[in-house]
Amino acid sequence: MEAFKDFVNHVTRPRVLFPLLLVFTVLMFPPNEILFKINKKLRLYKLWTRMGGIIFFSLMIAFFAFGLTDPNFKKIVTKPDNVPIVGLLFLVNFFLWVSMKQAYENDARMDEGKESSEAGDAKEKVLVWPDLVYIEFISLILCTILLMVWSILLKAPLEEPANPTVSPNPSKAPWYFLGLQEMLVYFDPWLAGVVFPTVIILGLMAIPYLDSNKKGRGYYSFKERKMAISIFVTLWLLFWIFLITVGTFLRGPNWNFFGPFEYWDVNKLEVLTNVNLSEYFYMIWFKRQVPQNIILRELPGFFLMVSYFGILPPLLAKTLFRNIFKNLGAFRYSVFVVLLLIAASLPMKMFLRWAFNIKYIIAIPEFFFNI
Amino acid sequence: MLPDERHYNRNKLNLIFSISSILLLLSLGWLFLSDYVRQWKHHQTEFRTLEIAKTKAKYEEAHRALESQEAYQALLKEIKEARKDYEASRSGLEDLKKEIVHLRAKRDLTEQELKFAKSELDAARYRYESAKAQPSESLEEAKADFLKYDKKVKDLQLVVEESNQKLKDKVAIIDRSSESLRNLERDLHQMTSQKDVLERKLKIIDPSAMSLATRIADKVRDLPLIDFANPNVKIQQIVLRDLTDNVNFMQVPKVDRCITCHQGITNPEYKDAPQPYRTHPNLELYLGKNSPHPLEELGCTVCHGGRGRGTDFTSAAHTPSEEKQKEEWKRKYQWTRMELWDEPMLPLQYAQAGCFKCHGNQVTLQGAEKLNLGIHLVEKAGCFNCHLIKQYEDWPRSGPSLRKLDSKLTKDWAYRWIENPRSFRHNTWMPTFFNQSNNGDPESKKRTQQEILAMVHYLVSASEPFEMKPLPASGNAERGKELVSSVGCLACHQIQRVEDNQATTRDILRRQHGPNLIGLGSKTTKEWLYNWLKDPARYHAQTRMPNLRLTDQEAADIAAYLASDRNDDFDKKVVPEVNEQAIDEILLGFLTKMETHTAAKQKVTSMDLNQKLNFAGERLISHYGCYACHDIKGFEHANPVGTELTEEGSKSVHKLDFGLTHLDHTNFAWFEQKLRNPRIFDEGKVKVPDEKLKMPNFYFSEEENDALVTALMGFVDGASVERRKMPRTTRNLHLEAGQKVVHLYNCQACHVIEGEGGTIRESIQEWLVKYDNRSESEADALVTSFSPPNLIGEGKKVHTEWLYHFLEHPTTIRPWLKVRMPSFNFNATRLNALVKYFNELDNEEFPFTERVDTTLTEEEHKAALKLFSKEYFDCAQCHIVGNKMPPGSPDRWAPNFALAKERLKPQWIMEWLKNPAALLPGTKMPTYFDPATFEDSGPSDILEGNEHEQIRVLRNYLLSLSAENETKPMILPSE
Repeated sequence: MEAFKDFVNHVTRPRVLFPLLLVFTVLMFPPNEILFKINKKLRLYKLWTRMGGIIFFSLMIAFFAFGLTDPNFKKIVTKPDNVPIVGLLFLVNFFLWVSMKQAYENDARMDEGKESSEAGDAKEKVLVWPDLVYIEFISLILCTILLMVWSILLKAPLEEPANPTVSPNPSKAPWYFLGLQEMLVYFDPWLAGVVFPTVIILGLMAIPYLDSNKKGRGYYSFKERKMAISIFVTLWLLFWIFLITVGTFLRGPNWNFFGPFEYWDVNKLEVLTNVNLSEYFYMIWFKRQVPQNIILRELPGFFLMVSYFGILPPLLAKTLFRNIFKNLGAFRYSVFVVLLLIAASLPMKMFLRWAFNIKYIIAIPEFFFNI
Repeated sequence: MLPDERHYNRNKLNLIFSISSILLLLSLGWLFLSDYVRQWKHHQTEFRTLEIAKTKAKYEEAHRALESQEAYQALLKEIKEARKDYEASRSGLEDLKKEIVHLRAKRDLTEQELKFAKSELDAARYRYESAKAQPSESLEEAKADFLKYDKKVKDLQLVVEESNQKLKDKVAIIDRSSESLRNLERDLHQMTSQKDVLERKLKIIDPSAMSLATRIADKVRDLPLIDFANPNVKIQQIVLRDLTDNVNFMQVPKVDRCITCHQGITNPEYKDAPQPYRTHPNLELYLGKNSPHPLEELGCTVCHGGRGRGTDFTSAAHTPSEEKQKEEWKRKYQWTRMELWDEPMLPLQYAQAGCFKCHGNQVTLQGAEKLNLGIHLVEKAGCFNCHLIKQYEDWPRSGPSLRKLDSKLTKDWAYRWIENPRSFRHNTWMPTFFNQSNNGDPESKKRTQQEILAMVHYLVSASEPFEMKPLPASGNAERGKELVSSVGCLACHQIQRVEDNQATTRDILRRQHGPNLIGLGSKTTKEWLYNWLKDPARYHAQTRMPNLRLTDQEAADIAAYLASDRNDDFDKKVVPEVNEQAIDEILLGFLTKMETHTAAKQKVTSMDLNQKLNFAGERLISHYGCYACHDIKGFEHANPVGTELTEEGSKSVHKLDFGLTHLDHTNFAWFEQKLRNPRIFDEGKVKVPDEKLKMPNFYFSEEENDALVTALMGFVDGASVERRKMPRTTRNLHLEAGQKVVHLYNCQACHVIEGEGGTIRESIQEWLVKYDNRSESEADALVTSFSPPNLIGEGKKVHTEWLYHFLEHPTTIRPWLKVRMPSFNFNATRLNALVKYFNELDNEEFPFTERVDTTLTEEEHKAALKLFSKEYFDCAQCHIVGNKMPPGSPDRWAPNFALAKERLKPQWIMEWLKNPAALLPGTKMPTYFDPATFEDSGPSDILEGNEHEQIRVLRNYLLSLSAENETKPMILPSE
């Protein structure tokens, strides 16, 4: 058992779990034909069947049931603040599973030349009263029960009188901001706290203008909009839900990482050996002093950024995204690709940090400008 | 609507709907229930049962007592008779009664008429007045109107008066007939009043004694939802506007709801009731209406801590006092530690810490023995030397000066001492720095040995010369021993091994005020001791060791005695050689913090061993903070090494480093451990030598530890009780300042002051047996006569000026005493503090007092002489008069009258003569005027038997005596 706990503690470290989940998510929601074929070969789509669902959720429940026998796990998971996040984990996965199951069934029907199962629904008319109102009313009652019982069983997680000289350790943002707080580990506040949230909102607003695919509306289907689903689910699951989960359960005192079965020890220290790209470039590779001149010093970083946002999009338009470029046209393509590159910069920065201890690609602390 | 138009199965939906509705209802019920069923409600119900049982028992007892009383039975019989008589006479009064009813109705009617008429009059007056103000034609009419109603009112008033009188007369007739019955009933009522009160109470609280309607109402008012109005069972609270809870951003008025469950807390009847109903153990001092700490004004949490607003066991932030109680609470009340409240309840063993918040400036606090002991320990151990504590800012250093060390000690002794002070003096207050849990391993020891050598080297080489006078003669140790036990050394010093298992008390601390003087032969020389004894201030200007004004021979004798005791085990302890390499390492450790490694190395190689030792020694003394307690050259302005403790008790637990220990995260648990083993929080840590915790170990016993933690917990930020603190009146300030000096110089070792102290008696008793050849019982009886005086009422007794000069340069008042009042070398500040203190203690005028006329007429003088003479009071039998000693044995002697004029306040002499025992209980002075029959107590043949006059002339006579003219007082020619 201890070995298993150690294994879990080890695997849940972001630098292990995040890449694993990224590969897994991309394979589960393959954006193109090649990956789709791999998915088929590995029979991963079996998860979207009733049996797959039962096995998946049984495993999940079994994991939590086992975890609750561990005092450290139990302490964190049953904390009244954290209980909703446990619920969120189950709910998100459940609804994802329901919709994907439906989508695969529809895909199969459409392959056979039939209509999607929802197509029939669209033709049928239902009376608002009593059919709709009745079930709404029942849902209302059930939700009220849930809230009442919840409020009886779990006390409101109140804290001590606020004290300016004592900050809570760990200091955590409200749960919905934990994703952003996790990004702060890798990015400066102006990026993680200002630019990224803005881009997220702008990106969500831009979706209707970027997505020209007319298929797959009003019914579940995966085959007809692989790319869209893949991108959205990856961003949603990994960059939002996963980061919230990490922030809730796995970040302890001093924002250090703790495995789910690990004791939250205030004294734990982590190694701090991060370096900037310019130091890599000048000190480590060329064994020279880092230049005094800011521009000269950050030249490698500027070069990297310019090529990332300036050279990569046209290159992609000619190669991987040839079809997309053709469909969207130059303007919409560039919006799409810039948004995508910004989103991709998060895992990239993470990888750079984990693999090369890169702190900043461009570091100009003189002007509080660090990327 | 047709069924086939329905999308869902209606029956199924109905079923789901009904099930979920039932669930909703159930959860709603649960919601109410969980809100309704509260622990405190249960407690209140239980308390009520208890109250009913108690009241019932009391009622029954009262009832029984009454029944068995003959007078009561007789009265009952009498009433019965009287009632019979009254009934009989009633029939004759029926007509009268009817008439009264009729009269009353008529009177009421007229009264109403009068009321209306008055109202009409008021309205008419207004009309009349306004018509007058703005003349109009209606003036006349208004005036007539007004006069009409005025007359009507007057007439009606007459009628009402008349009918009232009539009514009164008739009623009086009826009353007269029932008068005797009513009187009897009043008597009965008086007799049964106690029982009636209990009965009424039972009717209110006991359902079985209630009427049906009340019983239903009693139940209904506590039902859910209805109980918002006026329930039986309700939260009870005390709102305290001038006491606050500190919630960091603001001070919130305290609201204490403790009495919601602790229902019997102020009621002495619940002394033996189970908790939470039990009475407070000390109602006279706390909570009672007439106590200094009434519940309504101070509540509970201001002293006990805890969350006053909490109404369940955990949220009130109760704190268990021991492991067993903790387990019990967990089982009984599902208790958990309320970590979210900054000021949890003080555990019972530290409850006295709560006193300090308001009484922090008082040096001793009556009734708070543990806190007093804690404060005394803080003073004795000298916590304030290393840790800034504001109250002790002006206190001198606790340890001796090391400035002239070289003349006193050898290097070897100093090494052995620093390494382990307890190996020389088992109960020393010098704490141990080395061989502790974080530096006792062989590797650390190798280093610390060299550290000690370096420090000793520095101390010796920085030492200033001390010119020693040669011994005048070789002392006699035997005589020295006798002197030590008689002149008063033993008030502050002990010269023997003391049992370790003794419980520490403040008396013991007083006896250990100075160091235990065993083994001094191993420590220093006879010469040094002689020089020290002759004039301690010459060696150490700030010393608190007083000068006993010893003669050269006496000093030599004592020095010989003290130097004769050696500690052989200590002398045998091996002192290691200086290891230059190790010293280099220590040096490098310090130097590399300031400069580069190479430069540091260079510096080290450029120094010779002497320089190295000096440099390292100085740094180490600075590191360990030796200078905090000892005066050391070169450290005159160094800051103390410890953390400030002025408000340590309110320090957030977050700021205490628990290291890797698994203690409860409470401040008192941390303090306990820290004091028990100051290095405990280094356990399991890997640290370089100069990062290690360095607080030394005082080896406190468990009760000392407890007392110290109590004091520490008391050192809190008092902002929340600012308006309730002991007021800073001049009197209180003077008392505090005086008490501080009394503590500092250990006055209470010899004298009883404020009812405390006088611990020297024990050694005086020993002296009486050992050297004065008295039997144990004799010594018991005589010890008071041979001990330093009790200073009760000193301010009232002696002149301010005399006291000042006496404290400055003591003179002999009681020549029969072997023990001497030492010269303390007080500065003017301290002298004034003491003088003010004694005056304030007795509420005396300060500094000047009223002049008293002490002249005598010739006749009065004669009378005084008579009273003074052998035939009457025979004052000279005990009192010294000038140079004339009294005839009896010295244990019966009393102070010299020649001193009276300078020393005693005239008013005091009067009071003293009148009743000495009232001023000084247990005094030898006989009572000549029996206070019980004062007016007849004095001799009747002098001054016409007027006792007041007798006392006055005797007083005036005494004041006229002086050393020069003991028999020729100042006499006015008689008129």
